Parts: sequence; structure tokens; C-alpha cells
Amino acid sequence: MKLSSPSGRGLKIVSNTVLVIIGLCFLLPLLWLLVASFDGTANLTLKLPAPFTIDNFTSVLTPSLAFGPLWNSVVISFGCAIITIVIAVLAAYPLSRYRMRINKPFMYGILFGTCLPITAMMVPVYNLFVSLNLLDSIWGTVLFMAATSLPMAIWMMKNFMDSVPITLEEAAWTDGSSMMSTLTRIVVPLMRPGLAVVFIFVFVQAWGNFFIPFVLLLSPNNMPASVSIYQFFGQYGAVAYGKLAAFSLIYSVPVLALYVVTSRFLGGGSALAGAVKG
Amino acid sequence: MKKRIIAAIAVGVVAAAALTGCSSGGGSGSKTITIAYESYGGKQMQNYMSRIAKQFDKKYPGYTAKLVPIQAAENDYYTKLALMNKSGATAPDVLYEDTFLIKSDAAAGYLAPLDNNVKKWSDWSQFPANSRQAGEGADGKLYGIPMGTDTRALWYNKDVLKKAGISVPWQPKTWNDILDAAKKIKAAEPGVIPMNVYSGKGTGEGSTMQGFEMLLYGTQNQLTTSSGKWVAGSTGFKDSLQFIHNLYQGGLGPTAQQALDPNWGNQTPALLSQNKLGISLDGSWVSSSWGTAGVAPWSNWNSVMGQAKMPTQDGAAPGATSMSGGWTLAMGSKSKNPTAAWNFISLALNKDNSLYYATSNQNIPVRTDVASDPTYVKSNPTNAFFAGLVKITNFRPATSSYPAVSNNIQVAMESVMTGQQTPAAAQKVFDQALPQAVGGTKNVVTK
Amino acid sequence: MTSLTRTAVATSTTGRGGATPSRPHRARRALGRTIPLIPAIVMVAIFLLGPVIEAFYGSFTNMALTGAAAQNTTFVGFQNYVQLFQSPDFLQSVWLTILFVVGSAIIGQNVLGLALAMLMRAGNKVLTGVVGTLVITAWVVPEVVGAFCAYAFFNGGGTLNAVLSIVGLKGPDWLYVLPMVSVILANVWRGTAFSMMVYSAAITEVPEEITESAELDGASGWKRLIYITIPMIRRSISTNLMLTTLQTLSVFGLIYIMTAGGPGTASSTLPVLAYQEAFKFSQLGLGTAIAVVMLIIGAVFSVIYIRALKPEVD
Repeated sequence: MKLSSPSGRGLKIVSNTVLVIIGLCFLLPLLWLLVASFDGTANLTLKLPAPFTIDNFTSVLTPSLAFGPLWNSVVISFGCAIITIVIAVLAAYPLSRYRMRINKPFMYGILFGTCLPITAMMVPVYNLFVSLNLLDSIWGTVLFMAATSLPMAIWMMKNFMDSVPITLEEAAWTDGSSMMSTLTRIVVPLMRPGLAVVFIFVFVQAWGNFFIPFVLLLSPNNMPASVSIYQFFGQYGAVAYGKLAAFSLIYSVPVLALYVVTSRFLGGGSALAGAVKG
Repeated sequence: MKKRIIAAIAVGVVAAAALTGCSSGGGSGSKTITIAYESYGGKQMQNYMSRIAKQFDKKYPGYTAKLVPIQAAENDYYTKLALMNKSGATAPDVLYEDTFLIKSDAAAGYLAPLDNNVKKWSDWSQFPANSRQAGEGADGKLYGIPMGTDTRALWYNKDVLKKAGISVPWQPKTWNDILDAAKKIKAAEPGVIPMNVYSGKGTGEGSTMQGFEMLLYGTQNQLTTSSGKWVAGSTGFKDSLQFIHNLYQGGLGPTAQQALDPNWGNQTPALLSQNKLGISLDGSWVSSSWGTAGVAPWSNWNSVMGQAKMPTQDGAAPGATSMSGGWTLAMGSKSKNPTAAWNFISLALNKDNSLYYATSNQNIPVRTDVASDPTYVKSNPTNAFFAGLVKITNFRPATSSYPAVSNNIQVAMESVMTGQQTPAAAQKVFDQALPQAVGGTKNVVTK
Repeated sequence: MTSLTRTAVATSTTGRGGATPSRPHRARRALGRTIPLIPAIVMVAIFLLGPVIEAFYGSFTNMALTGAAAQNTTFVGFQNYVQLFQSPDFLQSVWLTILFVVGSAIIGQNVLGLALAMLMRAGNKVLTGVVGTLVITAWVVPEVVGAFCAYAFFNGGGTLNAVLSIVGLKGPDWLYVLPMVSVILANVWRGTAFSMMVYSAAITEVPEEITESAELDGASGWKRLIYITIPMIRRSISTNLMLTTLQTLSVFGLIYIMTAGGPGTASSTLPVLAYQEAFKFSQLGLGTAIAVVMLIIGAVFSVIYIRALKPEVD
């Protein structure tokens, strides 16, 4: 990997070649998923579909199998990501801008405490939800997931905020802007790429989370797709691989769409550079 | 704006859930009973439970059966059930309970004894004595009514056996007969795995139950004595390991790589259908893999596959052996309406509903009247064979220390099959680890 | 030379802002500053504080999900920890876990993620989009499915060996011969997306004029990477290392489906061991103790990153 050509032409060729190679390495394991989803007799080896069929998709795309659970996933993941982002931006601002005595213990405390896997905490969490009467409530589950993703989100958010130059705020401060308006009008717009990363991160974590909704929800109508995917696992360990693969592809589409959208609308990095050049 | 829409929709979803009677909490009124069960892939369990719930609501006006299906892999189901059981507000009235967990869940205080209920239940006489034992707690009380079971035996591919010069139908009388057949296949058909016996940690409990225990319970020894003490140093244990050694080290089984693969269990049905595997020691449910919805659809399976009983080591009476697991319906100890809960259980397991369960769930019925019912016998060509094994079957010593012992058995099998240890050495390691797994030397006897 | 001084200037102004613009009304301001923290504190206090403390306590009990201990949970002091540290399986698991984290998170995901982020700046836009989507797809498929994909790729008759056979090589059953390498590579495949996004976002925020002027000064690509880009995104690196470490520490499903911790205990990391103790053997107390040990390992790694990557601003 030689990045030395000032003209950038050689650099481009090298970069593109390396990208193609890496892309292939990431594609190969996914091939099984793609091929199995069209295979009437899918198993765990990569083979040509025999017979080639879209039955896996048609049998999976029903209200009770796919749409209901996927909708629950959307509600849970969006709810969790939005709550997390709002609270994390608020919390990150003082942590990033002021040197306070509670910064470090606060950050480390919550970060490590909440990194305890949910499996280790499930008994107390379950009891807590019983006593709060929040069991089987989607919103209770959303709030809990937001609470668990907060520490990481705050940490990331603070880091992105640190790299927003303080010079821009100084101007606002001298104009007499309040803390909140500085935050929302100046800092937040400047850290859109960071916001996008945190949002996708929290969203994907919530989207793929099996154990929290499994423990905290009861009725099948409330279950997200990460739980309902187990309908493709039968008794005695039998797995319906074809349907599982088809379902997984459908399950992945919303998140991929979200990634494409956010990277297009929020990822434009020129905002910051422009602001600094001012 | 977006937030408000989502909030509005979410409120709608919650409200809809409440209307359909799925709001939080367990038995919200004494006239409502909750039934928790594992909802597998496919709809069989769901259909069965809905059917019973409908009958229940009709037969007992004023009472409502609320279903709580739990969709998950097996260990996660046990976990969720335990969490629900721990809290009075969510403990279900009726539980779909693995026979494997009856003893430990009874010891945990989650289950209510049913001895008084079955005394007045005329159907109880249809349940054979050895199947009743599967629902008993360590205290000897009855905690679960067996719904159905499974048995294990030898599956063999007739084409592979015939090619090796073995006449079919094939019924080995001793372990040596099995190994002889495997040797003939190896000699006649290179490229075919002569015989599969699950072994090692990869296939987990399948190794212990379909593999090791099918051997051990055909010797003079078992895992525990009749008084419930764990057995160390038995000849049967060493001989069973020796069989694993002969099979794997003699090149008569799959390679260690294949057998230690955690997904091996889902590959053997396909190998049998492709004439790449001769004999497999496996469960009564295997034919479901060859159904249209299975992992290896094979319409012709019934004319190619044969079943043979697993012989005892040297043919000693009763000549063959089998192992069984299976499921029960149990009553939660925190049930506020035990009468209604029992009504549900007895309704679910009457002859008609038991027959429905056995035919739709690929289960071996426990009730003798169901096992001999023509509808059941006809629903799958292997039903009569596997149901016939219930007479000679054995159940695992399902105490709470069993999973740890099972794990140690898999470790012993693995070190023998890979040739790392001799059977005697592996047994010694097992014996040394046994006291810690079962709570001290007081629970162990050495033979 | 100009570029380096500029970097230094940039770093000091973008630092964690120890100095605030003006300082009137100390007390009131100090209070005002903590207000935005309140929602976060409330959320954590309601939902996590109690359960976390209870879980730590649980690691000193014989807590169980079923069996007699489920009814009568008793305090057993350090017994769980003593039992762990006496077990050779546990010590091996600690070592395998560290290997897994160093191999797949610290080296694999971070280096590859940074490389992808850099390459994507220079690469063709369409190609970048396709590769980015593939990398993200591996990250968003459900864990069980990602694990099946990786299994189908690495097993003896799998995709990898099929590809190798095209060039005339015969690969082994990777999951049996090299289980740790397989699960490490699988986790790199699955987790690099996150690092890629973090570094892409971080690099976007490096003012272009700095790298441009360095380029005009004739600094080579490598030099620009080492002297400019990496110092500029130092804090992102430290955060990302920490987050990927903490996440990788708890990876369970991937390993469990691919190898189930085997063969033998050759890929039995701490989460696999904890699963066995807590769910298979129903010893929740012991399983929680393992989780606590995992946390301590995560904390040690994090302290190292923080010490190594941002000494001068703190």
C-alpha cells in the first residue's frame, strides 16, 4: 500500500485494488446466506440451490412471521436510539466542555458497571421490572435498552464532541447564547458524522439484541424479530436453514437502508471543514 | 414529528396487545390460568395448545386459559421459565416441563405435587409405570404428567448394508455384532462412514444420551445406583468408552473432526440419504429431517432406512435397551387456582388430545391406548417400532447435578475418540472429577 | 515542518477544553453545568444501579436458576472465585479470551477498520459504497446467522476450502485444526464495520487543509498517516479500542455456534465458560463471577489505552 504519489492517481488504483480484495473477503462468507435463501433444501454447505425457489421468502413474508416482529424491532430500535442520542448529547456536553471533578469517576463507573453482561444481571432486572409493573411493556423494554446503551453512547459522543473546535462556541458565548442553544445550534450540527455513527451503533445493538426483549417481554405480539428468528429452530436442534437465511436477509434490509441513508445525509464531512475555514 | 408518530403507533400496539389479553402479569384473576410452553419452529405446539385452550374455555365456562408461548433455543426457554417461576406475579399455572428438569425444578419449589390429583383420575391407569417415573421428583412425589417421549435405536441404510453383504432386516444381538457389521461396510465400501455414534463435546447432550448412555445402559451398570448415588469405576463405564475407542480409533466411525463439529447432528440425516453413512445410533425423531420441511428432504426414506433395537453389550436380558427423554405438563406451585390448572392438564392429556399431540408433534405417546391406536400407528411407518421401545427404555438421572456429569462424560468420550487417552485413563479422570460435579464424595459409590 | 506545528495548534484548541471562555458566577454555573447530566443519571440510577450492585453481590452467592439453591440462596464469600482460580479450564479461558480480544478487536478490527476508512477516502465512490455495504452487512445480520455464515465458510467442506481448491490447495478443517484462528477471523469479519464507521467519521473531522499542506510539503502517505492523521484521531482510536474490546470480550454466539468452545476446550473463551456454568449447570453465582472477571480484564485493557493514547491533555 503506497500512498506516496502526490498526483493521487497511483494512490487511487492501489486503493481501489485493495478495496476490491477486502470486499471479496467480506462477500465470500455472505454468499452462503444469499444462496441458501433461494435453496429449497438448504444446509450448512455452500451449494447451488436445488431446487431454486423463492418459497423461503414467500413462506416467511407473512404478518405473523415477518411484518409484526419487524415492526416491533423498528419501534424498539428507533425508540431506543432516539432516547439514547438525546440523553447522550446532553450528558456529553458538560463532560466534554468543562473539567469537573465527577467526570472521570462518573464515566468509568457507568461504563464498566453496565458492561456487565445482561445475562449476569437478568434476575435482578426481571425482579425490578415485575415491581415496576413494566414487564411485557415495549416502552419499558425501550427505556431499559436505552439505559444500557447510554454509557457507550455518552463515551462516543463525548469523544466526537471533543474534536469540535471550541473556538466556534466562544463566539456564541460572547454573544450571550445559552448553553442549550450553543449546543443545539453550533455543536450538534458540527458533529453530524459522529451522531450518525452513534445512532447506527445504538440502533444496530438494539436491532440485534435478543436477550433483553426475550427476558422482559412475554406476549408474542410484542416480540421483535431478534427473538422471533428462533421460530426457524425446531425440536432436537433441527434448523430450517433456507427460511432462516431468507428471514435474515429481510431482517438486515432495514438496517442497511438506514446505513445508506445516514451515510449519505449525515456523512458529508465538509460541514466541519467549512466551519473551521469560516 | 417522527417521534410522535412512533409513540402513537406504539401506544396502539400496546393497546392491541392488552385487548387480546396479553398484557403483563401472570394470573391476573383467579379465573384466568396461564400456560407457559416452548413454541418450536413450525406451528405444531402452537396448534396443540390453542386447541386445548379452546376446549378448556368451552368446557369450564367463566374460566380462561391464557397461553404464553416462549420462542427460543432450549436453554433459553429453561432460563425464561425459571425467571417466570421465581416471581409470584408471573409464575405460570401450567408449565410445559422437560422431564430433564422436573427434579431440579421441584427442588427449587417451582412445582406443585400432583399425587392427589391422579388418584382420582381414571386415565392414569393408561400410563405405564416406567414412564410415570419420569415425572417424579427426588422426594418421590409426582410433579409432572408425561405427555410424550422419545426413544433411541439404530438407524441403518439397507442399500449400504446389502452392498457389504449384510442381510436385511438387520438386528444385531451384541455390541460385537454391530462392530462386525461396521467392519464389513468399511471393507466393502471405502468412502462410506460405517457407523455414527455421537461423541464428544461438539454435539453436547446428544453425545451423552444418544451415544454413551445407549451403551452404558446396555451393560450391567448405570450412571446411578437405585438409591441415587453416582457410580464411579464401573466396568460398564469402561466398556462403553472402549466401544467408542474401537469405533473411532478403528476407523469405523466418522473422523474426530466430523464428530466434534457442533453442527454434526444436522448433517447425519443427509449422509444417510446419500448412502454415505451406514448405521447411525440416533433418536426416534430423525425421520422428520427427511420430511418436506426437514434439513434433508428425502421422499424415499422409508424404503431405504431400517431400524434395529440397540442390543445390550452381550445380549443379556432384555436383549435391547433404549434411552428416553420427553416432556410433561406440570403445575406451578404458586398457582392461585390449582383446580383449574389440573383441569387443563387432564384435558390436555386425555386420550383424544394425547393422540393429537403424538401424531402432530412426532412424539412417542406414553399412554398405552394411544400407542396402540391405529391413527397413531399409521401416521408414521416407524411409530410402532419406536413406541415398542418404551417397555425397555431408561430415563436419565435428571438431578440438578446431571448436566455437569454429562459434561464430564463428553470430555471422557472426546479424549478416547481422539486417542488422547485410553478408556481406563479417561475413566480415571472422570472418577476424579465426579465428586465435585455431584456435590461431594458422599454422593458417590465406587464399584 | 509547518504541518507539524499546525497539528499541535489544532490539538490544543480541540482539546477537552479545560479552559472555558469566561468565568463569572462560579457556583451557579457549576450547578447549571451538571443539569444536562441529570437525564442520563436518572436513567442509569433507575434501571441499572440496583441490578448491577445485586449482580456483583450475586457472584458471592450460590445463586441458581433451578435446584435447591434456587430456593435458598446463601452467601458463600469468595468461594466462586476460589473455585475459578483453582480450575485449569478457567485459566486457559482467560488466556484464550485475551488472545481473542487482541487478535480480533485490537489488531484485526481496528487496523482493518482504519485501513478501510483511509482507503475509502481515496477509492472510487461506487466501489466504496459496495464494499462499505458488504462490511456493514456482515455486522447487521443476526448473530446466529452471522455465525452460520462463518461456519459455512470455515468448515472442512466449506467455502474457504472450495476457493482454495480452485488454486489447487487443499485446506484443512479450519474449525478443528485452527479453532482460535477461525473464530478470530470470523469476529474480524463480523465486527470491523463498527471501527470502519468510527474512523471514517473521525477522519472526516480532520481538517483537510492540514493533510493537504502536509502533502504539499512532500510528506509521504505513511508519514502523513503516522504524524498527522493518527495523532489527530488519537482520541477516537482510544475510544474505539475500548469499545471494541468491551464488545469482543462478551462475544458468545459466534464462538458457540462455530465450535461450541471445542475441540476439547481449545476455543472455550470466558463467555462460553460462563454460559456453561450459568445455564447448562445452572450455577448462576459462578457464571456471574466469570462475568466480573471479564469486566476486570476489560478495565485493564481500557486503562492501558487511556494511558497510552492521551497522556498530555489530561
